Amino acid sequence: MNKQEQQQFFKEIIEQHKGILFKVARVYCPNENDSQDLIQEMMIQVWQSIHKYNDQFKISTWLYRISLNVAISFYRKNTTRANRFTVLNEQTTEILTEDKAETEQQLNLLEQFISELKELDKALILLYLEDKSHTEIAEVLGLSISNVGTKVGRIKKKLKTRFSQLTP
Amino acid sequence: MNELELKELWRIANEKLEESFTINRQNTEDIARIKVYTSLSSMKPIKIFTLLVGILWVGLGAIILSHIYLYAFSEANKFFLVSASVQVVLTAIALWIYLYQLIKIYEVNSYDPILETQEKLVQLRISTLWSARILFLQLPVWTTFWWNETMFTDWNLFQWILTAVVTVSFTYVSIWLFLNIKYKNRNKKWFQLIFSGKEWTPLMKSMELLEQVEEYK
Repeated sequence: MNKQEQQQFFKEIIEQHKGILFKVARVYCPNENDSQDLIQEMMIQVWQSIHKYNDQFKISTWLYRISLNVAISFYRKNTTRANRFTVLNEQTTEILTEDKAETEQQLNLLEQFISELKELDKALILLYLEDKSHTEIAEVLGLSISNVGTKVGRIKKKLKTRFSQLTP
Repeated sequence: MNELELKELWRIANEKLEESFTINRQNTEDIARIKVYTSLSSMKPIKIFTLLVGILWVGLGAIILSHIYLYAFSEANKFFLVSASVQVVLTAIALWIYLYQLIKIYEVNSYDPILETQEKLVQLRISTLWSARILFLQLPVWTTFWWNETMFTDWNLFQWILTAVVTVSFTYVSIWLFLNIKYKNRNKKWFQLIFSGKEWTPLMKSMELLEQVEEYK
């Protein structure tokens, strides 16, 4: 690929798969300002790596690897982050109808529980919730497929326990 | 909450957020114009400053000491000469390790699998402990710089005891720290006290992450 093709490829990747960057950023950086910085850093890393892109991998696998690697490293640098989810939870439940309020509350709880997970568990649960196959999760993380199954099962159990503790 | 409910909840969350998934086109254009992202250009100013100060210190030390060895060895205070030489050599080794690790960290590919990349990064960050270990090894020579030949002729017993206690203590502490500053001691109070500054936070966080990587293997 020449320089122009690389630039075009980069713009297409970002436009078509921006959701991956946003979702990873949301999981690792609940704070809006940090999140913007993180997305910017992910985009820079994508651009820096584009000439080494290997088409034996799906673009989504490649992008998940970059964005998660950047997020995990970025996350460690930013130790003080506001817990947005709890605040949202308190604000929204009062003004919504009962059904919507319940969904909203569960959404906030899910995000809050995910934010409590360790960095690698967050990556795993994100890929699982995005409905990625165990094979693709294994490729992104560098784990064996059987190990993915075990770890996903363990984190799901952890989330279920947290939900059962806090929801009536 | 079962598996389907969890995924449905996640889908609803994404639907709500998809409207905000907008990337500034100009930002993308700007990033695509970045030419070379070298190790040096991506390094934080504080790291470049540390390296420059270190290089300056070692460089000046090497020039001054070489001059003494070559042209003024017979008149020079041998205690000073040996102490300063040890100090400069140890600083040079620590500096080399620091620089080597910084370059290696920036060479890690962010598109490799997460566990592989994070383990490499964490191991490299943890190996900066070597720089700290070597720098602590310099402690005793800071107590011997000022020794001179008159101490053998003019000193009384009290001066000897005091000097010996200080030097032996510093030697003991430096060797003990050299042997004990290791990843396996990361949870000890003395370790956390030494590495409690802001500059060491990424290192301490890296150690926590290594525990996770090991759990995943």
